[in-house]
Amino acid sequence: MKSRKRWALKGTIVALFFLAAPAFGAGGEPPASVRIDSLSHLYNGVDFDHELHVGVEEDCSVCHHHVFGNGVADTQCARCHSDSKGTSSVACSDCHVKEPFTVEHLREMEADPNRYHVDITGLKGAYHLRCYNCHFAMEAPSECADCHERTDAGDRFYRSGKYAPTGGGTGGGHE
Amino acid sequence: MSGISRRKFLKSTVIAGGSAAAAMSSTKSAHAMKEFEGYPDSMGVLVDLTRCIGCRTCEAACNQEHGLPEPEKSFSDFSVFDEVFHGGKQKRRTTEKAYTVVNRYDTKDQGAPVYRKLQCFHCSEPACLTSCFVNAYTKTKEGAVIYNADVCVGCRMCMVACPFSMPAYTYDSALHPEIIKCNFCYDNRLTKGKPPACVEACPQDALTFGHRKTLVKTAHDRIRSNPKKYVDHVYGETEVGGTSWMYISSVPFDQAGFNTTLQHHPILDNTKSFLGIVPMVLGIWPAMFLGFHLLAKGGKGKTDDKSKNRVEVQGE
Repeated sequence: MKSRKRWALKGTIVALFFLAAPAFGAGGEPPASVRIDSLSHLYNGVDFDHELHVGVEEDCSVCHHHVFGNGVADTQCARCHSDSKGTSSVACSDCHVKEPFTVEHLREMEADPNRYHVDITGLKGAYHLRCYNCHFAMEAPSECADCHERTDAGDRFYRSGKYAPTGGGTGGGHE
Repeated sequence: MSGISRRKFLKSTVIAGGSAAAAMSSTKSAHAMKEFEGYPDSMGVLVDLTRCIGCRTCEAACNQEHGLPEPEKSFSDFSVFDEVFHGGKQKRRTTEKAYTVVNRYDTKDQGAPVYRKLQCFHCSEPACLTSCFVNAYTKTKEGAVIYNADVCVGCRMCMVACPFSMPAYTYDSALHPEIIKCNFCYDNRLTKGKPPACVEACPQDALTFGHRKTLVKTAHDRIRSNPKKYVDHVYGETEVGGTSWMYISSVPFDQAGFNTTLQHHPILDNTKSFLGIVPMVLGIWPAMFLGFHLLAKGGKGKTDDKSKNRVEVQGE
């Protein structure tokens, strides 16, 4: 159950974030597919099949927290958000920023000592923690390339493909 | 004549005794200050082992950031997790060619394996720094423990002193060998307000960068809001007096390769009380005992001109 939810969440997050956000905000239908590529560098973007994931997890709040105003799946969130109304925006990036560790962002998080949500994952973390963890738990495809194809820059970064080590170097171990 | 000498002499003895007392009291207060918790604005990283999936992206990012040599195997090759050394007990360690490594631990308590990233812990009171007699190490106010190869004499005491066995050495360099270890991306990133390369690259947010003080709270908050998921301990909060890199885990830390026998106060404390009296012994005792000696000698009325002069010099 938990993994199902997570899986759905992953989809939803992505969906909302890009195409779906305006449509949802206006009370429209969820999108069938969402292109996630705002962070693509080492890997190409993802064509997220939102429709498929809605079929797997019907509770939108598993991925979308409380933004639709129909309750929350996480009991931690329910302590405050069980009666919360829908929010004007449902985009992931409204809360999960692309660069969570900049000086400005850290300062903003620490500015108000009473702020509750200080430990918010970055956008990349939010995607992967939802998508990957659910995929892994449900034994759905969970290799990196199962969701997004690696770019040439990615191959160079990971030293794989045509950039694979030619020998002579040493790994992380020691003799 | 000898009376004047004696008076001067007593004066100097009193001064010497006074400074000795002062030295002793300052030693005492220095010793009492062992609650040092690092620089107030020190940065840190919280590693959440429940999030790490062993993708090795941090290793690749580190390699790229620091222009490290080509690895033996691709960073997409997960067979490195099966590598063991020293008769099968020792997993991969940081080397002169890898500031950070990720290891896999198949734990008893949990079905899925746990992955742990290793790098310099950037202690608040580093043992490497303490052990270095040429001051090659610096604990910066940003929290990084950095190393200066220019003054290093290659004694490798730091490698022995480090409770985490992090510093590596370029043994294959005949002319310019140096210590190699994670520097928290100090020059390129930390001083520019940016997180380390590994943190930025982590797809799972297993690495959280921020002020160390805040991270301690974050760590306890995560544990408190999910007590069934986490072991109730923040590794590095107090170990060896606190480290800038800290860990939280879903399995007991010893099962994830951590040394859980470390003391919870700085390694320096083990020698601080002794080292504190060394300046007093070396600097004050000779003067004081010479004074006593001359006083005793003067009391016999046999002070000659030569020793009188010495007394006067001593009295200044």
